[in-house]
Amino acid sequence: MSTKVGDIVEDFHSNNGDRITDKMSTVHRHHETSRKESEDESRLPALEAAYTDILRHLGEDTDREGLLRTPLRAAKAIQFLTKGYHETIDDILNNAIFDEDHDEMVIVKDIDMFSLCEHHMVPFFGKVHIGYIPNKKVVGLSKLARIVEIFSRRLQVQERLTKQIATGISEALQPKGVAVVIEAAHMCMVMRGVQKMNSRTVTSAMLGVYLEDPKTREEFLYLSRRT
Amino acid sequence: MDRSKQNKYSSNEKNDNGDGDSVLNGHFDGMVKRAAGGPQAPGAESAPHRSTSAVMESWKEERTRSLEDNEMSLPSLAAAYTTILRGLGENPQRQGLLKTPWRAATAMQFFTKGYQEKIIDVLNDAIFDEDHDEMVIVKDIDMFSMCEHHLVPIFGRVHIGYLPNKRVLGLSKLARQVHLLYFQERLTKQIAVAITEALQPTGVGVVIEATHMCMVMRGVQKMNSKTVTSTMLGNFREDPKTRDEFLRLIKS
Repeated sequence: MSTKVGDIVEDFHSNNGDRITDKMSTVHRHHETSRKESEDESRLPALEAAYTDILRHLGEDTDREGLLRTPLRAAKAIQFLTKGYHETIDDILNNAIFDEDHDEMVIVKDIDMFSLCEHHMVPFFGKVHIGYIPNKKVVGLSKLARIVEIFSRRLQVQERLTKQIATGISEALQPKGVAVVIEAAHMCMVMRGVQKMNSRTVTSAMLGVYLEDPKTREEFLYLSRRT
Repeated sequence: MDRSKQNKYSSNEKNDNGDGDSVLNGHFDGMVKRAAGGPQAPGAESAPHRSTSAVMESWKEERTRSLEDNEMSLPSLAAAYTTILRGLGENPQRQGLLKTPWRAATAMQFFTKGYQEKIIDVLNDAIFDEDHDEMVIVKDIDMFSMCEHHLVPIFGRVHIGYLPNKRVLGLSKLARQVHLLYFQERLTKQIAVAITEALQPTGVGVVIEATHMCMVMRGVQKMNSKTVTSTMLGNFREDPKTRDEFLRLIKS
């Protein structure tokens, strides 16, 4: 029942302290954002200057033709890659929740996901599979992919990203259960450090009936992994 | 497409009309130039009719960065990353981000460590005299680089083939990752020229197919698109059959 999911979400918030609560509370409860679009423009020069510094300290000649506008492009690129900070679930979901008498599993799988590892600021990317069991309310399918976008376009940790997507959906829909699985490759592992080319990291978050009922979980895992 | 990139590409095109030898008139750290293509090549070096080519300028720009330089620039790099974090609206004091500027700075130095090594040095240690003149191919070499326009990773595979002329190269040298802030086109050419300079083979072919994160993660956001560039020198350029064999063998 939806109250159970609500309990779990509450527990999750209180257990995870500042880190998630700050983000979740600002995003969900106060409808505030940590960065507004208009601020992006004003912050661009500082970011540009920082990138110019970086290039110089790497030994590059910032006056050579290929690099002339790179600091600006890199600054805009990283703003784009972290644009999830100023998007909220309420903004994108408002019109797309429908009353529907459907209580079978809905799965949207193979959603491409790109994010930035908050430890190295290097991309990690992969696929997200989402399943939920509606409780009289279904959501427009592309909205699930947009929810992934909101949370993934940030400096992230894969574990937190998975949980945020799951709790985001459960807060918006109060479904009977939500399941999220992410399988990703981390460039910080592939391009540096241990340099393991083919290794993938898999994380999952199960809420509601997916947590309680092994058969439901199994059905989701089977249907979402099947190619 | 960025205008500067296009200009470079077209000047490369113009100057590639001559035979493969002319590429070697690039200034590779002032080393003595030898004509590529083995015994059939003309004794004298071909005239530098591409003296203003962008390709040659890029060879001049190869510079080294010592380990001490790395150490010294780390604090400034870290400070720049802290500025970036603040500029994105993040709180650099939160637990997950506390050491991020240092980690990001070290990672960036690692991704551009090509600046510490000259390709020619990397290759020079592993050249052996061998009486082998059939094609040697090393393919599916994973490659990681950074796009010099957006500072976002590029990764892909490099396939290298060459026809030795009494000198062969230790294979793992070819397979070393090349971390450089360069265009893919330039990287392809640079690898080909380095091998030519080191070995004077009868011909060299280099093909790179890569995914550019700047296209996948932002901008046009085309997930499955790959960029393929190739450089053919010597026999690989002149003889279609050789080129064919190389291209066919790397496909399988």
